[in-house]
Amino acid sequence: MSALPLAFLSPWMLGALILLPAIWLLLRLTPPRPKKIDFPPLRLLLEVVAKRETPVKTPWWLLLLRLALAALLIFALAKPIWNPPPAATAGSGPLLVVVDNGWAAAPDWAARVAAAEGAILSAGDAGRPVALVASADAPRDIGLSASDAAIERLRVLSPEPFTPDRRGQLGPIEKFLAANPSADALWISDGLASGEGRAFAEALAKALNGRPLAVRVEPTGSARALVGAENSPGSMTVKALRAEAAGVEPIRVRASDLRGRSLAEVDAAFAIGARDATASFDLPVELRNDIARVEIVGAKSAGGVQLLDQRSKRRSIGLVTGATADVAQPLLSPTYYVARALRPFADVREARGQGVAQAVDQFVADKLPVIVLADVGALPRESHEKLAAWVRAGGVLIRFAGPRLAAAPQDELSPVRLRQGGRILGGALAWETPQPLSSYAADGPFAPLAPPKDVTVSRQVLAEPDADLPEKVWATLGDGTPLVTAERREKGLSVLFHVTADTRWSNLPLSGAFVDMLRRIVDLAGSMPPPAPEAQKAAAGEQAKDQPAKGEAAQGPAPRAATLPPSRTLDGFGAFRSPPATAKPAPAEGRPFATQENPPGFYGPPDSGIAVNLLPGGASLARLDLSGLQASVAPVVAPEPTPVAPWLFVLAALFAILDSLIVFLMAGGAALLGRRPRAASLIVAGLAIGLFAAATPVLAQGAPDKKQPVDERFALEATLQTRLAYVATGDFEVDRISKAGLEGLTQTLAERTALEPGTPMAVDPSKDELSFFPLIYWPVTESAAAPSPETLQRIDAYMRQGGTILFDTRDADMTGAGPQGPALRRLLDGLDVPALEKAPPDHVLTKAFYLLNDFPGRYSGSPLWVEALPPAEEGEDRPARAGDGVSPILITSADLAGAWAVGSDGAPLFPTSSDERQREMAYRVGVNIVMYTLTGNYKADQVHVPALLERLGQ
Amino acid sequence: MAARAGLVDPQDAKITARHEEAALGLAAALPRLLVAARRASATVVHGLHGRRRSGVGENFWQFRRFTDGDPTTKIDWRRSARDEHVYIREQEWEAAHTVWLWIDRSRSMAYRSSLSEVSKLDRAVVLGLALADVLVRGGERVGLLGLTRPTASRLAIDKLAQSLAFAADDSSGLPPAEAPIARLAEAVLIGDLLAPEEEIAAAVANLAGRGGRGHMVMIVDPIEETFPFTGRTEFLDPDAPLKLVAGRAEDWRAGYEERLARHRAALAEIARRFGWTFTIHRTDRPATEPLLALHARLGEAER
Repeated sequence: MSALPLAFLSPWMLGALILLPAIWLLLRLTPPRPKKIDFPPLRLLLEVVAKRETPVKTPWWLLLLRLALAALLIFALAKPIWNPPPAATAGSGPLLVVVDNGWAAAPDWAARVAAAEGAILSAGDAGRPVALVASADAPRDIGLSASDAAIERLRVLSPEPFTPDRRGQLGPIEKFLAANPSADALWISDGLASGEGRAFAEALAKALNGRPLAVRVEPTGSARALVGAENSPGSMTVKALRAEAAGVEPIRVRASDLRGRSLAEVDAAFAIGARDATASFDLPVELRNDIARVEIVGAKSAGGVQLLDQRSKRRSIGLVTGATADVAQPLLSPTYYVARALRPFADVREARGQGVAQAVDQFVADKLPVIVLADVGALPRESHEKLAAWVRAGGVLIRFAGPRLAAAPQDELSPVRLRQGGRILGGALAWETPQPLSSYAADGPFAPLAPPKDVTVSRQVLAEPDADLPEKVWATLGDGTPLVTAERREKGLSVLFHVTADTRWSNLPLSGAFVDMLRRIVDLAGSMPPPAPEAQKAAAGEQAKDQPAKGEAAQGPAPRAATLPPSRTLDGFGAFRSPPATAKPAPAEGRPFATQENPPGFYGPPDSGIAVNLLPGGASLARLDLSGLQASVAPVVAPEPTPVAPWLFVLAALFAILDSLIVFLMAGGAALLGRRPRAASLIVAGLAIGLFAAATPVLAQGAPDKKQPVDERFALEATLQTRLAYVATGDFEVDRISKAGLEGLTQTLAERTALEPGTPMAVDPSKDELSFFPLIYWPVTESAAAPSPETLQRIDAYMRQGGTILFDTRDADMTGAGPQGPALRRLLDGLDVPALEKAPPDHVLTKAFYLLNDFPGRYSGSPLWVEALPPAEEGEDRPARAGDGVSPILITSADLAGAWAVGSDGAPLFPTSSDERQREMAYRVGVNIVMYTLTGNYKADQVHVPALLERLGQ
Repeated sequence: MAARAGLVDPQDAKITARHEEAALGLAAALPRLLVAARRASATVVHGLHGRRRSGVGENFWQFRRFTDGDPTTKIDWRRSARDEHVYIREQEWEAAHTVWLWIDRSRSMAYRSSLSEVSKLDRAVVLGLALADVLVRGGERVGLLGLTRPTASRLAIDKLAQSLAFAADDSSGLPPAEAPIARLAEAVLIGDLLAPEEEIAAAVANLAGRGGRGHMVMIVDPIEETFPFTGRTEFLDPDAPLKLVAGRAEDWRAGYEERLARHRAALAEIARRFGWTFTIHRTDRPATEPLLALHARLGEAER
């Protein structure tokens, strides 16, 4: 077989390749067909001798192209196949098939079975007997069988959820090979070095003694595993492993709870050349505590599953101190060391800024599993009872001694009675030397720990030497006095450290032992076994019978020494199943990795069981090293054989098209195209149309995303010059009067003031931007419809941003209802209109430019309603008053526009109700209103100028 | 393998059939060409006479002092009575004379390249008929060499067109070897004049045998001048079963241009030798250009 995974179904067709030189000759002799041209002066041309006439022959590259075309066709006809199925193992003797069926074989198990089946079938076709060995099965003697039987056996194999030890199989294999000296072997390996892969391969090759050994190994190392799930303070992290330090590979890790509900999925990735990756779940601690199973999505292997039990749960621990918290000096805080010691495995909640009782009540209400009281003396009766009830319900209370506790009266929360009176020993009077920590109680939770040598205690509280004291002691000092005592209270536990939580009484909080001790205690929380069954009680010994309290206290560690029966285990594919018959109870302290007896899974009761994982926490995967081994190595998963012929045919067709194009161009096709601008322009136009058609939907799609564009022309027109504006009501006559009126006013303003406004503009408040205009004149018609909510919002925004709207009901001659008119009410309904008042005589409107007494328009006698001013202060005598800013709303009924309106000849359009002087006054009103909207309360402040000048001594 | 020239195989000979059709199609195209010819001739105002010399005619030309030898019958007594001299009244010379037209009808004349709007034959016919029209209107007699007798009829060009339409095929590309034209007659040869120079010289010598004057108009398709061919090209002769395959046509351009120039120089030399004129007309130029030139030269030649 060649190095390329390429085979030919009709190799004899390749013989046609010898025709290529003949084709080459033929092609050489056949130049491309010339273009034919009629040319009348041919006779003249015949007499011309061309200066240089290159021999007419096919250019070499065209020749090459055509030869390649011919070669392609020949290759295509030879029916090449990419990735041909691997050849069956050669040989005539019996065939030994070794199949790895550990967890690492699970992801591509079907392909492995297929590979083994293929090998067995082809061996059967050749009449060779077959022996099948599964490496994860128990070693047994190997017998030859017919291929049918071997396939039957193969079909019942399944991947096992542990790492197989292949050495165990070596004995029978060697025996078999010795008995069948003509046998050769096929090993379908999972590709992992674990399970003594290299040693097994070498031994196998040695046992074969030169006969062929075929190894099938997945080159990419399909197995992925998860190890070391850790519930760290901020997140839950888990390490993913792979055997091959290959390129970047993304994985997805899913966390689910005990019932299989997915809690979170995170993405992680193996970096280039890395064999591990870390996935971290950033979840609230409560959710993280619910995680019971972490798995690689799609890994389909027991190795890709990490199970979590109670021990990896993080607990929230409430921390209460009796001392006044001194935040400025954290090292002196009584809780500093406890918090530091607890933080790696629990979430510490400190009571900040609240009293002890409050904090305790809070923690109890929050149902925290552990509460630490650092030197808390007496508690209020109520809190005390709550705390006691909480302990009885399963809480773990950890108390630290201290001056307050020592001074407090005896309470039920301490596990032991503290010595009354001189119960505090300390100082040079009692002890010559500080006492070291000497030993842990053998049946206490600290039993597995080694007592540190460097812990000394200089002060402590002493327990009354009651009869049951020894059973409550978990740790003792050198002189036998208890350092840690504990007592079980129904479901809960009360633990007392006889020293302070800070370093005043001992250096225990500084030692690593402190962390271990706290961790052990916290581990007990929440995993309190239910009332012990009889068997366990019996196992716990006679102490449990006569002294229930002590038995309870010792119960934390006691069940762990026993074994836990499997409750749910994983199969090789990483799915839960009921424990197989081979599964045995696991030791209660857990197993670091799974074996055949203890497959990965949950052991013990659901709430307090342990989890056994397939791989130990620090494991790594390594690739099976087969270098230097006398074996033919092939991939397990044979790629799908792909016929190449269609592609070759396509390529040949492309070459043919290319060839025609070249011939066309050589025969002057380019000149033909170039000389026909119409054709060229047609082509270009066609391309352009195509492009445009392609681009149009994009444009059409892009358009709706755009925001409603501001009408730029309107904006420019409105802003390049200050303009008065009126609201177009839709009533032609009214709008005409508004326009003429504002034109008249504009004219007057230009004549009399420094303001020269532009031509007035009509605005539609529902469409146009209003903020360009300082003043908007709004004639109110009887039939005016209520504006839409959006329009109201725009008007409201305009008014709030400093604009002024002058509503004119134009009905002073009839009702003169002013703000009470139904049309105006309809308009303003839903608008946040400030409180209004009739413009008082001292309003700045009366002083803004002209001095006015009233505000007549076409009709006199109508008041001008403005935003109510704050009441004048007592004793203040100001000629003009103004609030902050400008009244956003002015309401009149005097038909100002009617009075202002001038025709194109500059003559007034309408008579006023009295005489022309009233028109003059109306103009003055208009000027004042415009000045007021533009200058605000400036004029009101101006009245102070004389006083200011006087003060300045001028 | 250099350029290969040779006889075309029967397969290729089919191409010439195309030209045959085009030549036969002349009859169908004649009405159109007649219109074009009339339009072209309308731009040339011949007047009844442009001879500007005294001679036999109806109209007064000038009074001249009597000299010895003048016939006394020519004395204009009315004029002579006005002073002491005797004057002779001279008439303008109005003698009509014969112009023989020859239009090449060979197959190569039906050639039209993509650079030109009309075929050479079309242009030759338009030019010939327009010239005939102008001449007839000017009182001359016009005939088609070898086809018709000269006529001065107003309908001359219709007759000429008819005889052209029904003329037998002629692929010689040369004027018929008939009797030489009369001394005062003029010949106008319109064709592509691609025949060998000696044959053309012989034909011209034959025509000019009696001292007749003439004009050669060489109708050229632009492509025959510019030779814009590139690449591998096979050239076919529409008249003769000849072909030439050029590997790189662009290599032939310089040689061809040089050869064409020599051919034209030879034609000009022939014309000069017999006192004829030689004009080259490209079909992408307007037909009125050679018409005006010819018309002017027809006058000059008699001086």
